Amino acid sequence: MREKFSQDKLDRCISCGYCLPACPTYKLTGNEESSPRGRITLMRAVQNDKLPALDLLQESSFCLGCRACEPVCPAGVEYGVLLEEMRDITWQGKNRPLIIRGLFFIVDTKIGMWTLGLFSPFAKQREANKDLHLMYGCFERRLFPAVSRAVAKLAPEVSCSSDQGCCGALHAHNGELEKGKEMAKALGGKLPGTILTTAGGCAAHLASVIGGERVQEFSQWWVKREVELKPIEKKGRKIRVGLQDSCHLRNGMGVFAQPREILKQLGEYLEIPGAADCCGAAGSYALLQKKNSRKVVSQKIAEIKALNLDYIATVNPGCTRQLVTELRRARVKTKVIHLAELVAISQNK
Amino acid sequence: MSASDLVAQLTALLGIEVVRSDAVSLQAYSRDATPMFEGLPEVIVAPRNTAEVSKIVKFAHDTKTPIIARGAGSNLCAATVPLNGGIVMSMTNMNKVLEVSKSEMIAIVQPGVTNLDLDQLVEKEGLRFIPDPGSRNVSTIGGNVATSAGGLRGLKYGTTRNYILGLEAVLGTGEIIRTGGRLVKDVAGYDVTRLLVGSEGTLAVFTEITVALAPRPASSKYGVAYFDDLAAAAGAVEKIITAGILPATLEFLDNTCLTAVEDFAHLGLDTKAGALLIFGDDGDAISIEQTVSSMSEIAKSSAGCRGVTLAADVAEAEELLYARRCSLPALARLSSLSILEDIAVPRKAMAEVVNRIGDIGKKHGLRIGTFGHAGDGNLHPTIVLDKDDPREVAAAEAALAEIFALPLEFGGSITGEHGVGSAKLPYLEAKIGPANMQLQRSIKKVFDPACILNPGRIGS
Repeated sequence: MREKFSQDKLDRCISCGYCLPACPTYKLTGNEESSPRGRITLMRAVQNDKLPALDLLQESSFCLGCRACEPVCPAGVEYGVLLEEMRDITWQGKNRPLIIRGLFFIVDTKIGMWTLGLFSPFAKQREANKDLHLMYGCFERRLFPAVSRAVAKLAPEVSCSSDQGCCGALHAHNGELEKGKEMAKALGGKLPGTILTTAGGCAAHLASVIGGERVQEFSQWWVKREVELKPIEKKGRKIRVGLQDSCHLRNGMGVFAQPREILKQLGEYLEIPGAADCCGAAGSYALLQKKNSRKVVSQKIAEIKALNLDYIATVNPGCTRQLVTELRRARVKTKVIHLAELVAISQNK
Repeated sequence: MSASDLVAQLTALLGIEVVRSDAVSLQAYSRDATPMFEGLPEVIVAPRNTAEVSKIVKFAHDTKTPIIARGAGSNLCAATVPLNGGIVMSMTNMNKVLEVSKSEMIAIVQPGVTNLDLDQLVEKEGLRFIPDPGSRNVSTIGGNVATSAGGLRGLKYGTTRNYILGLEAVLGTGEIIRTGGRLVKDVAGYDVTRLLVGSEGTLAVFTEITVALAPRPASSKYGVAYFDDLAAAAGAVEKIITAGILPATLEFLDNTCLTAVEDFAHLGLDTKAGALLIFGDDGDAISIEQTVSSMSEIAKSSAGCRGVTLAADVAEAEELLYARRCSLPALARLSSLSILEDIAVPRKAMAEVVNRIGDIGKKHGLRIGTFGHAGDGNLHPTIVLDKDDPREVAAAEAALAEIFALPLEFGGSITGEHGVGSAKLPYLEAKIGPANMQLQRSIKKVFDPACILNPGRIGS
């Protein structure tokens, strides 16, 4: 458990406020304390004993952790790291939400991981290229097993090993920073060479711990294969398709051009105006902060509806789940699908 | 009055949704973008309309409670830090554009509208809001008016004070006044509008602002020239303007700033150069082609020029200008503390002044990055230092005193566009003299007899 913030990271922020317009929770409230700059002011107050650490609890939960403030920050403040530290400091003991404790239990235990895979038709174990391993993802293998299957079909060279645990992103983002790092290292040890992942959130966490050169998110990896893709047709025309960026993939790893490049080959690509904005899934946020999560996503649902899309592609399972749920609630017919599955459709696989 | 009484009475007056007083909110409003200034307010109020603002100010007047109106809190002179406790009044809930009139080329806005939002909205009508401070993405129009914000277009177009036609404002008694209006010509009475622009929240609180807009130029073109040092770039600027060219933009950065900006923006700038000059103009395509190529030729033939390149298109030019606006925060990459200054000097003295700033840095063993609006003679020397190194902190204080004294030797000013606030109040009298100081105090008393509006700043 951490007690102090990294002082050098706090010092980077000069409170210029350039991050305010990028912050979804500042947009919702207009309150300084719900902005990245305001939260850093609060962290400093805790660091200097002007505020008890537990006073940060509410804001550490309200923040989505989307890191949209990072690319717009000229000073290069690593807000994502500071947020992880803030949750590490505050989300301890009884202050850790019950849902998070439950999720930790599932991915921390053999039985939990076993349950996630039970009767779930995710990609089968196989040995191929020893230096290229597909990561199943903890919850993706349960909720969206077709995604790993699609990758396995698309790329016979990819090895799939059943001996893989959680990458620790869940822990790092929810108050167990050190443990999250250890888990990423452990996974890096189990899956040698390049780790291929279909989850933007996992990719960014893994890359930050074991190094970007060892981690490839699906779209990043696929564009390098330079395979020509056939457009997908529906009722005699190309499909209308949009994209929901994964926040950590875009803001943490700078990957956003690649999925668009692929989608432009697959159909008529239409950029939804808020594609880069958080969908409100934000890891466990949609479970912990249901109301706020819905407020954040509402504009996006309207945008998807207005564009009359056949498909909205995703690159992270949390976003898939959020959009499936919210589009259904709004009775919008657009189908939510992971980018890899869409590529597989185009390749008749 | 005790803090808890203050909160209770304000809540009774306005309702629970307008008033906040939890420790977290108070802490969040304890500073603005100025380093080293901090103070806790006792209560935050966020009014939604003029009537509420008037009620709050009247309450402050009756109870003699200090009150600070705050926009985005992006100012750089500690004008909105609650050093005396009291009320911070956040204007960000009053963020509506009330009217855009294309034929009159005006907009009427509430103070919490951001500069960028207004500009993007009027763009649809083929219009533009001219003032563009570096913080335009976040700064509010109310804040722009309070500090008479400048920006990158000052030389050709002027600053905020040239674009404010009328105001609705609440005086220190809670009374509501209207000044000016929608007209280009209007000399009925003293020009109170102009007096309120740049008054930094010490005379009245703006609740509605009528701004003049300008046609959006059909085209723009920008280029960059590299020089051995800032003085050489300043020399080229002087030659350009002496040649009768009045371009929209002449901005320069020294090597320290240039490197920091490149580190953030990755534009492929030549970080080996001693200084970078960004020049450009907007208007009809033919005439700007002419001015930009003339500027390019003059720069090339100036002493110490290492090369000139023109931006390929508008997008590239926009990136360049955006990067320039990020100079200050980008400098923060270099160390744990950056102290930014804002002096203005007559253009012809600029080359000498930048050299003198360099000398001050050397003398005190400090790293000073200087950037600025070269066309306006407005310089932003920025000391980057380690906040935990007592030697550097002491040296910075000494260097700052010398930097403030510097423009006065040349008939310049201690602040060109950031304002006085708390940060420069100690130096104000040296600039404007004792009689003018006294006059300003007297003016304040007329607008704000109880001395509650942003006390401890101008007029104190």
